Amino acid sequence: MLILGIETATQQVGVAVGGHEGVIATFEVARGRRHAEILTPAIEFTLKQADIELAEISCIAVDVGPGLFTGMRVGLAAAKALAQALRIPMIGISSLDLLAFPCRHTDRVVVPVIDARKGEVFWSMYRQVPGGLQQVAAPTVGPVDDLVADLLARSQDVLCVGDGAERYRDEILDGYRCEISGPAYPPVGALVQLAHARALREEYLRPGEIEPVYLRAPDAQINWSVREERP
Amino acid sequence: MLRVDDLAGTHAVAAAIAGLARPGDVIVLAGEMGAGKTAFAQGFGRALGVTEPITSPTFTLVHSYPCAGKLTLHHADLYRLDSSSDVDDLALHELAADNGIVLVEWGDVAAASLGDHIEVRLAHPLDTDDPEAAGDIGEFGDTGGREIELSATGSLWAGRWDRLSRAVEAYRC
Repeated sequence: MLILGIETATQQVGVAVGGHEGVIATFEVARGRRHAEILTPAIEFTLKQADIELAEISCIAVDVGPGLFTGMRVGLAAAKALAQALRIPMIGISSLDLLAFPCRHTDRVVVPVIDARKGEVFWSMYRQVPGGLQQVAAPTVGPVDDLVADLLARSQDVLCVGDGAERYRDEILDGYRCEISGPAYPPVGALVQLAHARALREEYLRPGEIEPVYLRAPDAQINWSVREERP
Repeated sequence: MLRVDDLAGTHAVAAAIAGLARPGDVIVLAGEMGAGKTAFAQGFGRALGVTEPITSPTFTLVHSYPCAGKLTLHHADLYRLDSSSDVDDLALHELAADNGIVLVEWGDVAAASLGDHIEVRLAHPLDTDDPEAAGDIGEFGDTGGREIELSATGSLWAGRWDRLSRAVEAYRC
C-alpha cells in the first residue's frame, strides 16, 4: 500500500509518499507561498524520484487544516481531484496533529500553534499516552492573548511548536514553564505516517466527505439590505 | 466629505490614498452600482504602478495585479456573494498579509469579516434623486462629479489619517 500525502495548510507546500515501509520520499518548500504553482510539479518530482507511478498510489492523505485558506484550498482541491481520478479513498488529518506528532516522546503538554494572521493563532493541546499523543484541548482560533491565558490557566510544563509559536515567541514565553521548539510547519512525513495508521484501520473517507477545518466565525447571510437603508 | 468634479478628481483622491497605503491594508469601496468604485480602483492601481487594465472583478471575485517591488494589489468584489463564509473563503486578510493591498468593492456589507480597514464611500450627487439614472451614467464612460467620504475602522490608519486629510484637502467640501 502506498499513500500520497499533500500538505498546504501553512505557507509551506509539502508532498510525501510512503506506506508499510514508512516514509519513502518527502518534498517541503516553506518559502514563496506559491502553492498552486509548486504543488503539482512537486507531486510529479517526488513520485519520480521515488520511482513510483501515480497508478500505484492507493490512498491520498491531505492536511485539512486549520491553516491559511489560500494554501488549503489548493491542497484540498488537488488531493480530491487525484482521489477522484484514481478512484481511491482519502484520509484527512489535522495540521495541529501533524505539528504535535514529532513531539510525541515528551512528557510535557504539546501545544501546536499556527499563525492565523490578523494577530490570531490556531492551537490545540496534546499529551503523551501509550502509543502516541492524545488531544486534551480541542482546536481553537483566537488572539495570542487567549492562548497565553489558556496556557497560564493550566500551569503545566508546555512545549509549543509551529509558525504561530515562532512568530509570537515573546508573548508566549512570558511568565510560565514553556519552551518553543520542534517543527515550524506541519511535517508532511507525519501526514503519511498518521494516515498509514488510519489506513490499517480502514478509516477511509470519500473525496466528497473531506472538509477543510476553518474554525472561523459561524456562517451568516450577508445583509444586502444595509445598502438600501443608507441615505 | 470630499467632492470631485470629474474622473480625474476621483483618480487624484485614489492616488492620494494609494500614496499612503502600506502592505497589509484593506480598503473597502462602498457605493451603489455606477458610483465609481471601479473607477477609484483604476486610479488607485495606476498610482501604484499597475500598467495592465483594471477591470471589474464582479464575476471573477478577485483580480490580482503586480505592483512595484514585491507588492501585489488585489481587487475584490463581494457583489455576488451571499454569506460570510463565502467572504472568508476569499481570505482577503491573507492576501493583504502576504505583501498585498486589498481593495474590496461592496466590502461594507461584510465589514465585520474584514478586520481593520478604511472605507471609501462613493456617491453620485444624483443618487438622492434617481439612483438608476446615476447607475447608467456610471456604466457608460462617466465623466461626472461624485462625492467621496472616507472613514476608518480600527487603528491601522490612525498614524496616517492627518496626512491623508491634508493630501485630499483640495477636494474638501
